[in-house]
Amino acid sequence: MNNELRGTPDPEPIGRIPPYLRMPPAGAAPTGTPSRDAGNTADRFSSLRPFVLTAGRVNAIDPEIDLETQVTVRRNDPRMIRTPLASLGPEMQAMVALCAEPISVAEISARLRLHLGVTKILVADLRAAGYLDVHVADTLSPLSSDTILRVMHGLRAIS
Amino acid sequence: MDFARSPDRTPPVPVKIIVAGGFGVGKTTTVRSISEIAPLTTEAEMTSVSVGVDEPRAESLKTTTTVAMDFGCVTIDASLKLYLFGTPGQDRFGFMWDTLAHGALGALVVADSSRLDDCYQPVDYFERSGLPFVVAVNTFDGALAYSLDDVRWALAVNPRVPIVTFDARRRTSVRDALLVLLEQALAQVRQAELR
Repeated sequence: MNNELRGTPDPEPIGRIPPYLRMPPAGAAPTGTPSRDAGNTADRFSSLRPFVLTAGRVNAIDPEIDLETQVTVRRNDPRMIRTPLASLGPEMQAMVALCAEPISVAEISARLRLHLGVTKILVADLRAAGYLDVHVADTLSPLSSDTILRVMHGLRAIS
Repeated sequence: MDFARSPDRTPPVPVKIIVAGGFGVGKTTTVRSISEIAPLTTEAEMTSVSVGVDEPRAESLKTTTTVAMDFGCVTIDASLKLYLFGTPGQDRFGFMWDTLAHGALGALVVADSSRLDDCYQPVDYFERSGLPFVVAVNTFDGALAYSLDDVRWALAVNPRVPIVTFDARRRTSVRDALLVLLEQALAQVRQAELR
């Protein structure tokens, strides 16, 4: 992660996005009809064995990424130039699109029908590529009586 | 409010409550009753150690299970969002609770008074981990197989742990059970803050 920020030329231009997650360049090879792909992304994901998408990596890069951790998109991060959005796999593109509004890791997993472990790994990859902000620090703040009182106040408003 | 629609707004701080209990005791109903979204399901691949498998070869000791978790959320205010995660309460899933319980406000152990076996394991886990919890006996159709005193005796829980009845289908009933849990969590945090 730090290497990418130092600005030294990286021999692997795609950063941490592994090649199998990239879409082939347009016109490189017949890839089926894009419109059909876009409509059935969820089906496509669920038909794959879960950890194919992560090349068998089963440990999340950042163990601090929790179920409820909030994820948002980044704008104009210089690292994005190395990995254009269109070069990312469809599940990663869908992830970036979902995060336009703050969303939890659990919700990304449920909405894209991706395993939780797979979701965590891909979220960490997209964070490293400059596409997502993962608000880990917010989740880790210790619980205070003030926070609990706010939750109680909020629940009491429910009728 | 316009800024609330902006894609770059600051995300809320998430807090979570675990809804634990055996299969069919009403965990998902509980989550559905209080959540502002229809409950979603996430699947987690879990590696567990099988005990008592027929062929005790080294390779067969570890198995992978997919565990489904239902969850929902409640927006508390502009900067605080409560998540509720419903988790299966079987022995072999106990290990996943360490990650799940990390940073949680507490746990609601949903129980069916006629099938208390299902909640021994969650009660045991939360008692040992020190996470605030409440045993919430789902009354289904107002029917309780045993009195709350009997339930307390059968579960042998610490007298400080509240045992309440609730109706998982009623929003206000779930809300009240959660408030009992939060009182418990508050007392525990205040005690820690005094030290």
